[in-house]
Amino acid sequence: MDNHSFMDVIIAVVFTLVTIAIYHVFAWLQKRLQLVWLNPMLLSIIVLISILLMFTISFEQYFAATKPLSQLLEPAVVALGFPLYQHLKTMKYQWPSILALLTLSSIIVIAISTLLTLTLLALPEIAVSLSLKSVTTPIGIALTEELGGNSAITAFSIILAGLFGAILGPSWLGLIGVNSAKAQGLAIGAASHALGTATISKISYEHAAYGSLSLILSAMITALISPILIPALLSLMI
Amino acid sequence: MKDAIYSIIAVVLCLSLGKLATALLGGFPASLYGMIMFTLLLHLQLLNANRIKKSIEWALQNMGVCFVPAGVGIINHFELIKNHGLTIVFIVFITTFLLMTLVGIWYQIIINKGQNNG
Repeated sequence: MDNHSFMDVIIAVVFTLVTIAIYHVFAWLQKRLQLVWLNPMLLSIIVLISILLMFTISFEQYFAATKPLSQLLEPAVVALGFPLYQHLKTMKYQWPSILALLTLSSIIVIAISTLLTLTLLALPEIAVSLSLKSVTTPIGIALTEELGGNSAITAFSIILAGLFGAILGPSWLGLIGVNSAKAQGLAIGAASHALGTATISKISYEHAAYGSLSLILSAMITALISPILIPALLSLMI
Repeated sequence: MKDAIYSIIAVVLCLSLGKLATALLGGFPASLYGMIMFTLLLHLQLLNANRIKKSIEWALQNMGVCFVPAGVGIINHFELIKNHGLTIVFIVFITTFLLMTLVGIWYQIIINKGQNNG
């Protein structure tokens, strides 16, 4: 091993450990203080951005160094299949209604999002990106490229949508009378994908199960309807 | 420890099957196919759920850290955010809550109906 790649390994280990350490400090703090806005993911991102800016480290360098963490994303999504399996029996009789309500809700909100963006910004590529923000990142990016959106904006708004649902979702849903763990899981999985589901999985197993179910179905529904719906809306408006 | 290794092998196996499905069928990312495969193998009892339970619960508790590096990527889009940031945040905020509210209330109504009938 030459000197250069040895340094790369050291840098990778340091960045990865620093990321895990920061995350765990905030996770510990949140557990102790029980404050919703103290989201370990959001705060870790803010602290790490500050660190990168302070030491003028590029994102590419940081991202390459923490690759082991990003590579765990795929197995993490697979692991969400476990709570889904555990609640498969209870969900069996509600399949048709769950599928129907997720499909209709997705169509309505994709349409509103596209039209709202075109009205406020008049930028079709951003309209495409923002209407795809509720699905898991790999699907959102793939659809963005297919429909002529802006991948950077899609990635950013996917994180935003995830954080909104993760941080504010359970309290907002409680406020409007959606108190059942199943309904909360379904709602947050549909609007805030894996990021929201991962966060609410700590509340209860039902949250995790319905969140996982919802994020899979929503991703599939969006992948099927958006290539037809979004171009139609764009041609209608322009 | 043995159960943890069993869980890791199970997840890696499902992910590999997912990658194969993406390569052959396309359409969805490997992780989604893998998740469906994992659920299916557990449901068919080809995987032992009791051995997997503990390590998966630990993984679910800690998986948030995996999203952090991708999130830090916002740093590269400062220019876009400076120009249209507030409007984008506004639209994402409104439509995310709209979708959450729609699905949440709708399903809560279905649950309440079921309880009244039963």
